[in-house]
Formats: sequence, C-alpha cells, structure tokens
Amino acid sequence: MIKLIEKIEGEAKLNFNFKDEKIEFVDIEFMSTRNIENILKGKPAFDALVINPRVCGICGHAHLIATVKALESCYENLQISNKAKSLRELTLNFELIQNHFKWFYLTMMPLFGHKQEVLKATYPSQLMGKAIALFGGQYPHTSYAVVGGVVCDITEMDIIKLQHYIDKTVQFVEENLLKMDSKSFSTCKSVESVLKYEGDLPDILRQINAEELLEHGKSYDRFISFGESSYFKKGKSIKTRVNNNISIDNVKESEMATSFAKNVSYKDKYYEVGPLARAMVNKNQLILDAHKKYGDSIFSRIIARVCEISQLLLHSTKLIKELDLNEPSYIEPSINIKQLNASGYSAVEAARGTLIHKVEIENGIIKNYEIITPTQWNLSGGTREKMGVSQKAMIGLCDVKTAELVFKTFDVCSVCTTH
Amino acid sequence: MKMRVLWLSAIACNGNAHSFLNYPYIEQFLNDFEFIYHPIIDSAYSLEDIVSNQIPCDILLIEGAISKQFQRADISVVNIIKNYSKIVQKIVTVGTCATFGGIFRESDYENTSGLHFNQEQLLEDFQEIFEKTISLSGCPVHPEILVNTLYSIKKSANLKLDNFLRPKEFYAYTVHNGCTRNEYFEYKIDNHKFGELEGCMYYDHGCQAPYTHASCNKILWNEVNSKTRAGLTCMGCTEPTFPKQNLFETKKYGHS
Ligand code: SF4
Ligand code: SF4
Repeated sequence: MIKLIEKIEGEAKLNFNFKDEKIEFVDIEFMSTRNIENILKGKPAFDALVINPRVCGICGHAHLIATVKALESCYENLQISNKAKSLRELTLNFELIQNHFKWFYLTMMPLFGHKQEVLKATYPSQLMGKAIALFGGQYPHTSYAVVGGVVCDITEMDIIKLQHYIDKTVQFVEENLLKMDSKSFSTCKSVESVLKYEGDLPDILRQINAEELLEHGKSYDRFISFGESSYFKKGKSIKTRVNNNISIDNVKESEMATSFAKNVSYKDKYYEVGPLARAMVNKNQLILDAHKKYGDSIFSRIIARVCEISQLLLHSTKLIKELDLNEPSYIEPSINIKQLNASGYSAVEAARGTLIHKVEIENGIIKNYEIITPTQWNLSGGTREKMGVSQKAMIGLCDVKTAELVFKTFDVCSVCTTH
Repeated sequence: MKMRVLWLSAIACNGNAHSFLNYPYIEQFLNDFEFIYHPIIDSAYSLEDIVSNQIPCDILLIEGAISKQFQRADISVVNIIKNYSKIVQKIVTVGTCATFGGIFRESDYENTSGLHFNQEQLLEDFQEIFEKTISLSGCPVHPEILVNTLYSIKKSANLKLDNFLRPKEFYAYTVHNGCTRNEYFEYKIDNHKFGELEGCMYYDHGCQAPYTHASCNKILWNEVNSKTRAGLTCMGCTEPTFPKQNLFETKKYGHS
C-alpha cells in the first residue's frame, strides 16, 4: 500500500508491505531533487554563502554555517575571533530552537489528535527569528557569516534585546511546553520527575503511555553526531557506549535506485542522528533515563528534541554573558580566495542532526561540492537486508497511521533530504 | 467571509512558506483567510485532493520555480496551475523563483523559469492569465508584503504594478533607501571591512541595494533589521538577475 506523506517540506511516498498484518518492509521514495551541488559547480566560492541557505527554508542557517566552515577549512592559519565563533553558535542554536517548536506544535501535536495550534509554533519561533535577524539582518536566508568571521558589529543594545528574546522564549516554554522552571528542568534526571508536571510535552508523553505506543519506533539503537560546539560533543553511541573518536572519512554516501535521497552510513552501518543522538553522545542524564526505560523509541526521540529547547536557551544565555564585544567581528583573510586551490569540509549540528559539507576549489572557483544532510542519515531507504534507520523503526507496526507518526518523529524534511 | 487560498509549492526550498510564518499577526490573518492547502499549516484538503480535483478557491499562491517536468503528488505543476488559474480571482507568485526562476532556474529540471518571466524575458506560456497575476519577488518574500497584498486583493484595491507585475507600493523603492549607511555612500566611504558599523558596501563589496527594488530598509525583516543595516551586502534577491555571480565584489571598470 502506497501512502503519500505530505507537509514535510515537500512529500515522500511510503510503500508499505504487510505480512501477517504487520509491516514487513517500507520502501521510502523522495520524488524530486533540485541538485544544488550541480548549481554550485563553476561558481565563485563565496557565492556558496548565498546559494546554500536556499537548500532549505527551515534550516538554511545551518547550511550557511556549514558552508562558511567548509570554506574556512580550505585556508591555513585563518583567524576567527571568539566573538564571531560565539555569535555563529548562538544563531545556529536559535535556528535549532525554532525548528523544534515548529516540529512539536505543527507536526507532532496534530498526529496525536490535537488541533494544530499555529500560534504556539510561530510565537516562540518568531522570537528566535528576531534573535537571528538582529545579527544576520533577516531570517530566513541571511549570509551574515563570511570567511573570517561575521558581518555584524554588535552593541550592548543588541545584547539587551537578544536577552529579552531569549527570556520571552523561556517564559513561553515554562507556560506551555512544560510548566516548571527551566533551570530545574535542566537538572531533571528522571522521566518521572518530568511527568509530574503539566504542559504540552508531558501531555504527549503521557498519551504515548496511555495509547501503548511506548515500544514504538525503535531502530538500531546506534547514534552518531559530528558537529562540535561549546555545547555539543562529537562521537557515536552504540546503545549507551560512547566513543568520541570518530572520523568523517568513514562516512559514505550512496545512490539509491528508487529514490532521490542518497543514503549515508558510517563504516557501512546506519546510525541515527538528531537531538536523541546528541543527547546520547553528550550523556544527558534525563535522556539516558528515557533511553534506559524506552530505548530509541518515539518517546525518547520526542523528549530529547523538546528538552534540547530549554538546554540551548540556557546555554545561549551563558554564551552571551561570556561575549567580549571588544573583539573584532571579522578578521580579513590574508590570502584572496582566487589564489586558493584547496579542499575542505565541515560538520555542524542542524536541528535534525549532523550536516556535512565538502568543497573543492580551484583558483577560488567551486570544482566540486557535496552536501550530506541529517535527514539522509535517518530517512533515506536501504534494502530489505539492510534497512535504513526510519525503515527499521517502522517494521512490525500494525497500521499505516502509526507508521507515519514514527516516520515523522525523525522530523522529515524532503527538501533537505534530496537537496 | 474568509478568502480561500491555495499555496502551491513548485521547485522551492520552502523558504517563503517559513518566511510567511514569521508574520507577527498571523492569528488575525488566519481569521480572514483560509488555506485550502499550505505546505506546513493544516488544511481541510490533502495534496491529493487538491491535485486531482478543482477545490473552490479565490487566490492561487505559487512558490518555487516552474518546469513542466516537475510534479506534485504525481501531477505536473503546470497542469495544477492551469486547473486553478481558471477559477481563482488572482494568482500571486511568491518569491523570486516563482517570479523569475531564481536560484532553482538552474536546477536539473528542463526549461525552468518563473511563471511569466525567465529572468527579464517575458514568456508566452500562461499569457491568458497574465492579467490575473501579481508578482512578489524576494528570496524569500517579506511576510508583510505577502500578507498586505492578500488583504488588498480581499478589499479589491487597485494595486499599481511595475513591468514585472510587482506592486509599486513595495517595489518602487530601492533597498538603498533607508540604509543606515547612506551618508557613507554619499561621501564614497567604503572603509568597510565587514563587521563594522561604519562604511558603505557599495564601492568594494558588491552591495546591489542602489538598483534593487525592495522594501528591506523600509519594512524591516522580523521587525528588527535588514541585511545592509547589519553589515551584509544586498544580494539583489528581488531582481530578475538574482543570483548574479561574485556577490561579494564590486566590479571595477577602466583604470584603477
Ligand atoms: S551599504 Fe548598500 S544599501 Fe547601504 S548605503 Fe551602501 S550601497 Fe546603500
Ligand atoms: S537586502 Fe537585498 S538580498 Fe537582502 S532580502 Fe532585501 S532585496 Fe534581498
């Protein structure tokens, strides 16, 4: 049975095969691609800073940051001030946060039978959009991070505004998502302590329990995360066993016969990326507890994503306090890009997980550009013998509706997956 | 009566759909308009309903570049547009891709362009609906420009349009108007090295604002800022020529 899955920044077709009234295999097809990698070929390298945010309307900023870092890795001895690094990290955090709100309120809640409350998604995500625009000039689609730093020269006034946007977002979380003080939430170590409270998050978690969905959505129980920041660590976690020594050289992208989404593996194995993976690699106590009880199920996936909102808001406040406004925003590279023949890569954590960009330039012109998006790790298909992460998570379910829920807990984005 | 709106995405990044979600008075908007389909917001109809029927509708919004080859739910986007353009009062191209082809003019689909224009060139297809169309270029479009245009359609206001069918009230300005760096432009001071409050980016860094028609420095983005105020050059994203090449450089002619 084929089902068209929509409102995932485009569409995908899931072809369900049933055996004994259970899902035995799901073929995932993404039907279109724009092929940004081809568009980039032959273009001046810096133009990628403008083109690449257009890979995706919801996580374009992650593509900007990945682009700037990939280009910067082509230089030797390039200097970037701590201020510029922190600002990039802040704006990336804000994009993650706005994405999580949209996913939870626009996509998840309706799948649990709740009416879509557009405002609950747009109010806090607009605050985060303002925070990015303060530095970037606009959101979406700024190119404010350039090779050598960022273009804005921020003032104390900007910092005050920024903190207000963050505080208002924290207040929204505390009044709606989880009716408890965010600081206490950040130190919660057990699922039970979260379930004691009111709010949209515990409501959904309780509903998962009540509807007996706790065991649903389990996959390989393998996680990976490459993007490092002052908050995220890089590493892989096989069940709870973490290894921080991983290399991008072992990441492989391969074409699919039936879909435009190329799949991605690490040492020939499929891994889950995203908030749950990051929390597992970072050994977040609350998420480890959820994982201990319910494994890599939809329960853990949802709590991990929503809990990242509060953590990133708190961490961002800390980053702002440490900012030194006297540092330069931008340090001009000593070599003109037109003199560069080099290749480089970057990995950043986007809302949906690890995003990798690889670039090759000749005299400042792009010869080759490769993008590996988070959704490719989670959502592209594999074979019956070796299924992809989300494919595996849907096996054994009895109905298509639950399968769609499981599929969407990975936060599907069709434009990114195929780019 | 709520006006019924169909939001159709063609070859796009969905940036316009997300930009629209940044409209600050979205609650009011959703009281006055109903989406029969939107790529993110819940709607009464599924995409399959939309493409296989002709659901009554007042305004067709098109996001993304257009090619005969490109399909939504197995139907060519060109056919979907033909189907709905007959019944709607107005068609609005949302964003530069739908208007001129934009970035995805260069995607892998055959003959990709905007609805009526391939960059500056006027196309013959869709001439029968030319009179119905309003173009809102921008990569992405500013949410206020989109929403205000929809309200003016609701009021049957007579919008004055430029040669590319863009409402003059939003596109008769250049981005350069209202930039906080204008005095530096006047005095030809481009000591701009990025990351500084002073200096204009026109002379060295490729700012296209003086010949880009858009309201970015009049109706600020996210109500707080614009690219050029922040210190980033205008990339000319509302113009048919977007994206040009060497976006961070000003081309110099003649002697140095
Ligand atoms: S930076 Fe651009 S918009 Fe601002 S004054 Fe200079 S040319 Fe005009
Ligand atoms: S400033 Fe220029 S590039 Fe930026 S949104 Fe406005 S018109 Fe587009």
